[in-house]
Amino acid sequence: MINTAKEQQLALCPQCHKLNDLSYIADKEKKLRCARCHGKFYQRKPNSLQYTLAWNIAALIAFIPANLYPIMIIYSLGIGDPSTILSGIGQFVDQGLYPIAVIIFTASIIVPLLKIIGLFLLVYRVYTGVRLRPDKHSKFYHVLEFLGPWSMLDVFVVALLVAVVELGFVTSVAAGPAINYFTLTVIFTMFAANSFDPRLLWDKKQSIDGSKEENDK
Amino acid sequence: MKNKQLIACQQCDALYDKPELKQGQSAKCVRCGSVMAERKVDFIERSFNWSLAGIVLLMPAILLPIMGVTLAGQYNNASLLDCILVLIDRGFFMIASLVFLFAIAVPVVRLLGAFYITYSFKFNKLKPSLLSFFRAFHYLDNWAMLNVFMLGIVVSMYKLIDDTELSVNMGLMAFILWLISSTMASISLDPDYIWQELEDNFID
Repeated sequence: MINTAKEQQLALCPQCHKLNDLSYIADKEKKLRCARCHGKFYQRKPNSLQYTLAWNIAALIAFIPANLYPIMIIYSLGIGDPSTILSGIGQFVDQGLYPIAVIIFTASIIVPLLKIIGLFLLVYRVYTGVRLRPDKHSKFYHVLEFLGPWSMLDVFVVALLVAVVELGFVTSVAAGPAINYFTLTVIFTMFAANSFDPRLLWDKKQSIDGSKEENDK
Repeated sequence: MKNKQLIACQQCDALYDKPELKQGQSAKCVRCGSVMAERKVDFIERSFNWSLAGIVLLMPAILLPIMGVTLAGQYNNASLLDCILVLIDRGFFMIASLVFLFAIAVPVVRLLGAFYITYSFKFNKLKPSLLSFFRAFHYLDNWAMLNVFMLGIVVSMYKLIDDTELSVNMGLMAFILWLISSTMASISLDPDYIWQELEDNFID
C-alpha cells in the first residue's frame, strides 16, 4: 500500500505545491496558511462533495432555459429569425457543414451534459465506494476539467456575430436571453469541477481495502 | 525537516522521495500516472521572450478589426474590443464582462505576470513580494480562454461565409500570434523551480 501525505501529517499546497508539515499545528480546524506562499490551503478541499453537488444542480437548472430560449436573433430586412442552440446546429446540418455542426454540438450540448452527469457519478462513487476505480475515475475527471472552458464556444460565437453583423436595416444579429443562462451553466460546471477533490477517490479506495484486509484476518 | 526530501502527487496524494531531475526530465506518479514534477529546459529565456512577444502583440490583437462583412454595399468590421462594447451597448452586461474577463483580462494579466516573473529572474531582481504575486498568478490558471475564442472565430466565419462577403483583417493575424505567444509563455514556465528559488531566497 502506498503512503499518502495525509497519513504522514503532511499536506500539499494547491498553488505552490509545497509539502507542509501539519504535525506541529494543533488546531486543524483553523485556516491553514502555506509556509511558502502564505496562501490558504487544506489537506483535502472541505465539503468537496457537497459543493460539487450544489454547483452541479445549479448548472443543470440553468441548462434548461439555456436550451429553451433563443440564443440569437438574426434580423434581415427588419424581420427577426430567432434560433436556439439546437436549431442553430440544425442550420449547419441543413447547409451540409457537418464538421462545424459536430464541433458546436459537442461544445454546447455534449460537454456540459457530460460534465454534469460525470460529476454526479464521481460524487456518487466516492460517497458509496461502489465499483470505485480511482485510476480510471481520476483520468475521467481530468478530461472533464480540460473540456470545461470549451463550452464557452457558443457564447464567443454569438458575441462575435453581434459585433460583426451590424449592417443596420439590411441585416443584424442580436443576442437572445439564452446566452445568459448558457454562460451560467458553463461557469457553474467549472466551479463544480474545481470543487471536486480527486484525492478523495484514492482515500476512499484505501479505506475500503483497509477494512477488507481487517475482515480477512 | 522530514518534508524537505519528500514530494506528494497533486492528484492522488501519494508520497515519494524527491527525485533529482535534470533539465528536460519529469517525474510521474506510479499510482495515478500524472506528472508530479518537471524541470523545463532553459525556461527563463524562453518564457521571457515569448511573453515579451505577447506584450508587443497585445494592443494590435485587441484593437485591430478581426473580420468584416459586406452585404448589399454596406461594410462593417469588428475587433475583440468591439465585441465587448457592442454587448454593453445592447444591455448584456454579464456576457460583456465575462467575455472581457476570459478573452482579455485574464490572458493579459497572465502574460504580464509571466513577463514580470521571468524578468525578475533574468536580471536577478528577486523581491519577497514575488511570493504572493506568483501565488495570485496560479489562481488564474483555468480561466484564460483565448484558444476557445479562436475556435469561436473559425465557427463564426463558417456561419457568415454563405450569406455574406467575408473579409479577414489584420486583427486576426495579430490575434493568432498573440494566442501562440501567450500559450508558449505559460507552458514554457517552470513553476516548481520558481517556487524553490523564491523559498531558498526569502524563507528559512
